[in-house]
Amino acid sequence: MNHLPFTRLLSLASRQLLRDARAGELRVLFFALLIAVAASTAIGYFSTRLNDGMLLRATEFLAADLRLTGSSPSAPEQISNGKQLGLEHAQLVEFSSVVASDAGIQLASVKAADSAYPLRGQLKSAAALYDTEQVGPGPQPGEAWAEARLFVALNLKPGDSIEVGAKTLRLSRVLTFLPDEAGDFYSLTPHLLMHLDDLDATGVVQPGSRVRYQELWRGDSEALTQYRQSITPTLAPNQRLEDAKDGNRQVGNALGRAERYLNLASLAAVLLAGVAVALSAARFAAKRFDASALLRCLGLSRKQALGLFSLQLALLGITASLAGALLGWLAQLTLFSLLQDLLPAQIPPGGLWPALAGMATGLVALAGFALPPLAALGRVPPLRVLRRDLLPVPVSSWLVYGAALLALGLIMWRLSLDLQLTLALLGGGLVTALLLGGLLLLGLQSLRRLLAGASLPWRLGLGQLLRHPLAAAGQSLAFGLIILAMALIALLRGELLDTWQDQLPEQAPNHFALNILPAEKEAFSTRLSQLSPHPAPLFPVVPGRLVMINGEPVRQIVSKESQGERAIRRDLSLTWAADLPADNTLIAGSWWDEVNTSELPGVSVESELAQSLQLKLGDRLSFSVGGLNRDAVVNSLREVDWNNFQPNFYMIFQPGTLQDLPVTYLTSFYLPPQYEKQLVELSRAFPAVTLLQVEALLAQLRSILAQVTLAIEFVLLFVLAAGLAVLFAGLQSTLDERIRQGALLRALGAERKLLITARRAEFGLLGASSGLLAAVGCELISFLLYRFAFDLNWQPHPWLLLLPLIGALLVGGAGVLGTRRALNVSPLTVLREG
Amino acid sequence: MSSSILTARNLSKVVTSTEGELTILHDLSLELISGDSLAIVGRSGSGKSTLLGLLAGLDLPSSGSVVLAGNDLARLDEDQRARVRAEHVGFVFQSFQLLDSLNALENVMLPLELEGHADARQRARTLLERVGLGQRLTHYPRQLSGGEQQRVAIARAFAAEPAVLFADEPTGNLDNHTGERISDLLFGLNKEQGATLVLVTHDERLAHRCQRLIRLEGGHLVDHVEP
Repeated sequence: MNHLPFTRLLSLASRQLLRDARAGELRVLFFALLIAVAASTAIGYFSTRLNDGMLLRATEFLAADLRLTGSSPSAPEQISNGKQLGLEHAQLVEFSSVVASDAGIQLASVKAADSAYPLRGQLKSAAALYDTEQVGPGPQPGEAWAEARLFVALNLKPGDSIEVGAKTLRLSRVLTFLPDEAGDFYSLTPHLLMHLDDLDATGVVQPGSRVRYQELWRGDSEALTQYRQSITPTLAPNQRLEDAKDGNRQVGNALGRAERYLNLASLAAVLLAGVAVALSAARFAAKRFDASALLRCLGLSRKQALGLFSLQLALLGITASLAGALLGWLAQLTLFSLLQDLLPAQIPPGGLWPALAGMATGLVALAGFALPPLAALGRVPPLRVLRRDLLPVPVSSWLVYGAALLALGLIMWRLSLDLQLTLALLGGGLVTALLLGGLLLLGLQSLRRLLAGASLPWRLGLGQLLRHPLAAAGQSLAFGLIILAMALIALLRGELLDTWQDQLPEQAPNHFALNILPAEKEAFSTRLSQLSPHPAPLFPVVPGRLVMINGEPVRQIVSKESQGERAIRRDLSLTWAADLPADNTLIAGSWWDEVNTSELPGVSVESELAQSLQLKLGDRLSFSVGGLNRDAVVNSLREVDWNNFQPNFYMIFQPGTLQDLPVTYLTSFYLPPQYEKQLVELSRAFPAVTLLQVEALLAQLRSILAQVTLAIEFVLLFVLAAGLAVLFAGLQSTLDERIRQGALLRALGAERKLLITARRAEFGLLGASSGLLAAVGCELISFLLYRFAFDLNWQPHPWLLLLPLIGALLVGGAGVLGTRRALNVSPLTVLREG
Repeated sequence: MSSSILTARNLSKVVTSTEGELTILHDLSLELISGDSLAIVGRSGSGKSTLLGLLAGLDLPSSGSVVLAGNDLARLDEDQRARVRAEHVGFVFQSFQLLDSLNALENVMLPLELEGHADARQRARTLLERVGLGQRLTHYPRQLSGGEQQRVAIARAFAAEPAVLFADEPTGNLDNHTGERISDLLFGLNKEQGATLVLVTHDERLAHRCQRLIRLEGGHLVDHVEP
């Protein structure tokens, strides 16, 4: 049989596969693969689509998918390029200008936008001051919309005229919401929105004036990526590209963590799937030893025998992967339709990638874990037909499992694109497995001595474990891995949600009050304390610009596109404080209560800004404040929690250094939604005070959190299902031996009860040791993950000590259930075997 | 007069397959008294093992009855039949059927423990010494040769001093010389304990060591020899 063409081998393999399938031989492997592929496909789709959906929401903070900003107009080819790619485009020019009316003048932040603006999110406005807001397109040419505080400051009403530079515009509506300003709490001047067509007529924008030009883009992600790639080399030093992730710090943080979590969960599912496939593939191979020996006797070469079984496996893998991908796709469709109300209206379909990744997961896991035992099939000696005890020579198991682990690592990395997370999970898992596997082996060995005096069911049950301590340790590790993965996912879910909830307590401040004059400070504070239970303290604010660092102009020092560049582009809110504000942590230097040896006043700088500006302790900073120069020396660096919705500051001065300058006050507070009327009254009583609502941003963050929570629960469910599948696959792999044993014991006169007790003893102990492994491993990996991947504080989790009990119950229950065939088998089987 | 230990009356076994019903045992009756030895011979597929399974209560007949040590097996459920086996029956199988997870001593102790004997360990040790394996007590089946495994199986079969010993091709997997030694052991122990022996075999020489011999063909009893 030296010339067996591939087509004959293929047809032989497929016929053989069909026969095996009919005989029910492939069920376990098929289902392990099916679940593996379905779980990773569904999770892949779910996280991709949800992520896209969440990003879509986050794009509202930019009013676009992608934003190109610069201090000079964009080059014509930068615009034509995007249009050629089929992207939607809107143009926006931002500048500060004095707005004049008969009553006086007021500095305003002006946005001149074309009719396409905004591309994401919605503009909201009201027909009159404090009227109900409506959603709709922006102002027509000749018109302008202004924020209520501009109306109040200039004593205007809708319909009045104002002048912006040389152009007179009719103030048609009250501007209540700009999507791309929702996250900006610190804009000190009121906004005015006008049509881009009127911009030239104002004559305000001249060469050299401080203007921000924005090109907004919207389109499918492929075109956007293409645009990003084509435009990046053409960016001028004063130009910058931003997408949703850069756009807003709070949303970016929440998204980042959610993404990592979903990644982690799908990696856990992949890991479990790998174990399930490994267990059932080993059984697949073991059951084919006889067939392989026979085929070798019939003249098939070693290569041909190996080819035949590899082809069978490949055919099985492809079929199961296709079915699994379809199943996973359907599962996520069902889930999205069930959760319609909670999710954003538009969710991108997710493309083909998650399905392909899911299938690749199944196939690589199959290859990684099934090929080694399959390779053994090729080495079955033909003599086995005569002597059944002859087993193939094993390959070095280090080589085999090393290859399998490498394959798994590659999939995990490709899926998550996160090397750190993959290594933490895989490395942590491996180290834990090796360490604990060794300990387990020692434990089992010492159990042997104790067991001599134990009763029969225990000896029968545990004898099974002790007979093959290596196999028992392996099984315990496999079950331990399942419990570990499930416990870890559950642990992180709780912890992440708590962290997020802490960030957004129910009564997080939803309003900011700016421009409180010193004369009104007391009155405002009193009035506010009647409305809101715990307002933040009133912080003094002096607008100032950082101009020099150690005598060098700051613009020469700061790199483009850095946070520092953004910070020095505009006035910073400078403040002073005697005490370190809450949620601020000193990371270098000292606070004021210690003696300041420098002649200059001290300033405490926010650490990220300091890093971006390359500031260190003792550096001398020069600020331009109200036309005067003020110098200070960097006295300390602070970490600031930007997620807390409290007034936060980049620069805090030593008390007594800025008091002589014109100062206003700033605070934040919580107001229940039904207090709308009181808010209007507050605004009327203190017309100079600017009240900003951040409810929209909070609501958006809360809805993202709700979605993430839901996603996490869904993913947990999948991990659980995958884990149980592995458990049963593991039991199936030892079923043949158990059936034989069960039949023999029955023939010798054992009652069912004895067999059940023996099983319980065996699986209970196996489960308990798995649980113990899981508890230790879970603590170890959670420590690594918290430290390096999620940036959370780690604390021990005493409830993990319950895992051995949970393991004993889970594995014990599943063990008895999964091997009930061995309990019910007819004792006659022993005669048939002979 | 010796009492009957095993009685089979009008035993038939019919199985249903995709090609319809197939009768593998036709209306067979026999009776054995204590200390009897019976060989069941016949070609492959003649129904030998089926008959053995029915006599030992491993399976139930389609019609007819088996009374083993005074128990009508058809009236008992599987657990009750298991108890009867534990008390009165021993087995020797062609493929030895030792539990891989137990060592030689533990394998022999098994039936004694099932019956609740307090001195299981000591009795098992004595029996293993009797079959010449006193030095291999803690060896696992994998560490023993085929002949040694079968000797463990024989020790296990006689451990609980069964009233009836069923042996299914006990020398089938062994070479001539070893087979000879195993059959000597089997008949020797049987004689010592005065058990009833029911032996299924292809080996005519082994069959003729029994007091009685029945030959099956296509499920029918064709020959009944009482030397």
